[in-house]
Amino acid sequence: MKSAWQVGIDVGGTFTDVVALDPATREIRTAKVQTRAADPRAGLIAALSAVNLEWENVADLIHGTTLITNAIVEGHLAKVTLIATEGFGDSLAIGRQNRRHLYRLDLAPKATPQVPAERRIEVRERLDANGQVRVALEDSALTDAIEQAQATGAEAIAVSLLHAYANSTHEARIGAALKGTSIPVALSHLVNPEAREYERTATTVLSASVMPLADRYLEQLESASPEASRLHLFHSSGGMASPAALRNLPLGLALSGPAAGVAAACKVADELGIDHAISLDMGGTTTDVCLIAGGRAEISVDRSLGDHPLRQPMVAIESIGAGGGSIARLSLGAVEVGPDSAGALPGPACYDQGGTTPTVTDANLLLGYLEAGQKLGEKIRLNRDAAQSALAPLARDAGVSVTEAAYGILRVANATMVRALNRVTVERGVDGRDCDLLAFGGAGPMHAVELARAFGISRVIVPAASSVFSAVGCVGAEMQYAQQQTVRMTSADWNRQRLSEIQTRLIERLSAPLQEADYNNDSIAVDFVASVRYSGQSYATEITTPELEDPDALGRQFQETHERLYGFATDEVWELYALRCTVSVPREGSPASTLAASAQGTPQKTESCWFGGEQAVDTLRYDRAAVATDQKIAGPAIIEDAWSTIVVPPGASAKPDQFGHLHIDVGSAE
Amino acid sequence: MTAKIDPFTLEVIRNALTAIAEEMSLVVMRSARSPLLREAGDLSSALTDAEGNMIAQGRDIPMHLGVMCFTVKEFLKRVPASRMTPGDVWFLNLPEVGGNHLPDVKAIRPIFYDGTLQAFAVSLAHWADIGGAVPGSYVAFATDAWQEGLRISPVRLFTADGPDREKLDFVLANVRGAPEREGDILAQMAATRSADLRMQDLYAQHGLETVNRTITALHDRAEAQMRAAIADLPAGEYRGEDWLDDDGIGDQPIAVRVRIVLEKDKALFDFSESDDAARGPINSTPFIASAAAFYAMKVLTGPEIQPNGGCYRPLSVITRPGSILEPGIDLPVVGGNHETSQRVADAIFRALEPVIPERLSAGGATTSGLLLFGGKRADGVWTTLYETHGGGEGARIDRDGAHVIRVHLSNVMNTPAEIIEAEYPIRIDAQRLRQGSGGAGAHKGGEGLHREYHMLADEMSLTTMFERRIIPPYGLQGGADGAPFRVDVIAADGERRELPGKTNVRLGRGDTVVIESSGGGGYGIPAGDER
Repeated sequence: MKSAWQVGIDVGGTFTDVVALDPATREIRTAKVQTRAADPRAGLIAALSAVNLEWENVADLIHGTTLITNAIVEGHLAKVTLIATEGFGDSLAIGRQNRRHLYRLDLAPKATPQVPAERRIEVRERLDANGQVRVALEDSALTDAIEQAQATGAEAIAVSLLHAYANSTHEARIGAALKGTSIPVALSHLVNPEAREYERTATTVLSASVMPLADRYLEQLESASPEASRLHLFHSSGGMASPAALRNLPLGLALSGPAAGVAAACKVADELGIDHAISLDMGGTTTDVCLIAGGRAEISVDRSLGDHPLRQPMVAIESIGAGGGSIARLSLGAVEVGPDSAGALPGPACYDQGGTTPTVTDANLLLGYLEAGQKLGEKIRLNRDAAQSALAPLARDAGVSVTEAAYGILRVANATMVRALNRVTVERGVDGRDCDLLAFGGAGPMHAVELARAFGISRVIVPAASSVFSAVGCVGAEMQYAQQQTVRMTSADWNRQRLSEIQTRLIERLSAPLQEADYNNDSIAVDFVASVRYSGQSYATEITTPELEDPDALGRQFQETHERLYGFATDEVWELYALRCTVSVPREGSPASTLAASAQGTPQKTESCWFGGEQAVDTLRYDRAAVATDQKIAGPAIIEDAWSTIVVPPGASAKPDQFGHLHIDVGSAE
Repeated sequence: MTAKIDPFTLEVIRNALTAIAEEMSLVVMRSARSPLLREAGDLSSALTDAEGNMIAQGRDIPMHLGVMCFTVKEFLKRVPASRMTPGDVWFLNLPEVGGNHLPDVKAIRPIFYDGTLQAFAVSLAHWADIGGAVPGSYVAFATDAWQEGLRISPVRLFTADGPDREKLDFVLANVRGAPEREGDILAQMAATRSADLRMQDLYAQHGLETVNRTITALHDRAEAQMRAAIADLPAGEYRGEDWLDDDGIGDQPIAVRVRIVLEKDKALFDFSESDDAARGPINSTPFIASAAAFYAMKVLTGPEIQPNGGCYRPLSVITRPGSILEPGIDLPVVGGNHETSQRVADAIFRALEPVIPERLSAGGATTSGLLLFGGKRADGVWTTLYETHGGGEGARIDRDGAHVIRVHLSNVMNTPAEIIEAEYPIRIDAQRLRQGSGGAGAHKGGEGLHREYHMLADEMSLTTMFERRIIPPYGLQGGADGAPFRVDVIAADGERRELPGKTNVRLGRGDTVVIESSGGGGYGIPAGDER
């Protein structure tokens, strides 16, 4: 049987999610299997067989992975040697001179530089801020630097010269000279062509330090699949890229899985014609939220991962330390939840793996939302008594019943999530109450309605296949590459030709992997976002679909956006500070196909759940697969599948559409 | 009496209040003009109750906390609540009105609900210029307060109808860079407006009474945290002192002295024995002395203490009128904000060295290390680079000090070389660690910074405002002192001279300013040196 399945596989820390789509028949298969970290090749094959497929059936496999993220967070990084401009070798050690903890003298105020002094090599050369050569790079200096770098026993080399974002020639020459060696090389103008030497250098060094790992991993994957060109990876800015492109820029994988979830949410928002939405992905230790406007995810270009600044275009996910495993404690008259978490081991008390501290998941079980005795994977069976014992001391100290304490813990967890919702909307000048909440992941749909009420949102959407949603995002992905470049051009000093050159260079650089993969130029879409600011401002305002041909029109776009975001705008000189370019190959065929209409579902059973009122109320429990299109389910109700639970409290009502997305009108708690 | 607020509602509302204050800071950072606000984040936001007791803070700058806890209280003594109406935004910067120095301008908006005053939103921002004798308003030779710039007594610049144009123009006419300043003023106004809107939502959602009872409970909670923290220290009376190099006018060191009395759950900080007020601009205010005392308690005993008005209740701070910490209204203060405040903290730490050395760090770069460059760019635009310099951190009982870092009351970032070269007529010739500057010890002090600024315009100005040039960062428990701060000018003709710590000089094209920031003090006797 030869067919052309599209397969998305998202490999998480514990579970691997699979979604397979046959574009011809619109058949969709989903599965969740245990992650096999030690043998990714076997893991992929196991994931395929979980949906009854073999390699021969697969046309495209799009893969999301936490490999790079984990390596960075856990510090499993290759030994990097840095080549920097003479006089500037210590940028990493100097950093931005601010400390991490304002009030903790006992903790080190900044991270140890990733490259120690003995592997920081200076080379004589110098550019100015306009990219003009002040001190030429002599061949002898170049040779010296390379010899010194090789003598350090580096596993990877990073080259970050001052102002290389404005002129790449010196870096390119060093890169070319290093080609002969077998050591992976990261050049700052390719990794992150933006000003600020510390952040660019740190990003380049980090990129170099995961290159050997990415290389090994991609090689394993490619050898596993019969034809390498069918394998793609999902990257942090919301699309897929070829293994070859990611070998050179492996930091693109830093938010691979979470970005895929957001990409799937974008598709759903687009399909349903939702103008503004917030994605909500609640996991065990953190909750990720992201603003989606006009079917597109907001992109951030300046964030950090662990102790590392990471300047790459990435889906602008705000992560907060509140998840199912977050621990609740009473401290001087207030109950706090998170950021510390019971993690996967021992996990919440109700997992019965030795945890004794009360967590959000324990609270969900005690309120009746999760079902006692329910199985999670092969090992875990939810134990209500363990949850009860864990919450009892906190309830006693707070002077309330255990059930009241459980409900209170949810309110506090939701309050911390509200702060994250606030940040992703307010910062962008969007009123969060006009957004829909798109909830997915294990625990998102359980909290979504109460969270929406606390924030003032009136509609929640729980998309089809919400528990394997990142894999859904992988399947629907388009080929895409993105990068941001510092420009610095004022309205008073507009230079159309220089701007064109910058645009052309960006497009050429980013579409190179597409051309290598034989996409023709007509099928490649190019999109720019301009960062514009008044001279003297630091934060630039992002302008989508900027009028780059016409500075007057661009100025008007800027003023309108500034007025909307900050309530004022002036006529003074502005500056096109940076340009972000995205090239992509739009793709047909989304996994959201029409579900076969099933018969009107009937509730499986009735149980007591508690929603913060005087007493528990009888709540119907539905199997999600058995709920018919347009069947209206009034709260209180619980709708569940094997991996996630959707809570519809009293006053709310839920209705699936023809795509299988569940629309919940949050109503009010009356 | 009112019923007790439940511990869940308390946390829900606390989160909401903090979010409101955080949002204010975001609004200022994203829309302000001054490089200081946008790049370095020299700003703070706060909410207070109707009496001016701080409820929540946005960006946590330790220095600003102390100030903001008093600003509204002092403001209310000048402007009675009866004169305020919804939509007002009042601006002020007087050091004696819950302030610190003139560049830190506070915007205060009264927040009304149901027709009565309930709270205040305060946005504090460091303006890059507040007028006075030199660009940037750091007048090293100032001998009275009026030379330091525009003194803004509380003035209503906005009402519900919009800006009061005449008053706004009056302020702008007295500062350099009026368009940039106007942008900052609008940013501060916008921040207080967002706080007002969010507070309205909060009252509507939870009810006025619940919100106000929560605020009372939060104050009580911070007080309890502070009391527990003090009780954790050994009771007794301790004395400590630390020294300023000079006041920029004379060359005598000036002492900040503290007598600390720890008694059960109360602490007294008596600074009466500190030296008299200085002639130069390193005087400070009692509010800053309080901020430094609070900071010291928080780092030594309870980093988790909530920064709000309640945490001050168990602390008594005494300053003597006429002393450097309470100079009266007519003396200059601009440098006291970040120099003398750090001396207050160091004096407290040194007082406690005999009893809790294991909780202390050796002396660090407790100075802003400020260099303020002014000059015209090639395109004719006048620019001012306000750059602070971190140095080595003092070592501790269990680790070496960090290199090039801000310590204690400040946490302002540096400006990258690639930004300086693009925006100012300055080239950076090198920036490196200053090798060998950290003090020896069982654990070594951190290294300072070496950075070279090369002037690219004909007429440039430089202001210095830094400490630890003469009196170096101290070693602790037998550790050696760190190398002192040093700033030199190498003239275009090659002649080299060292600059004083508080001065204004003129520079020309080709001159190079070399800053070497102090290393941190060592901790403990270096291995091999035990007798």
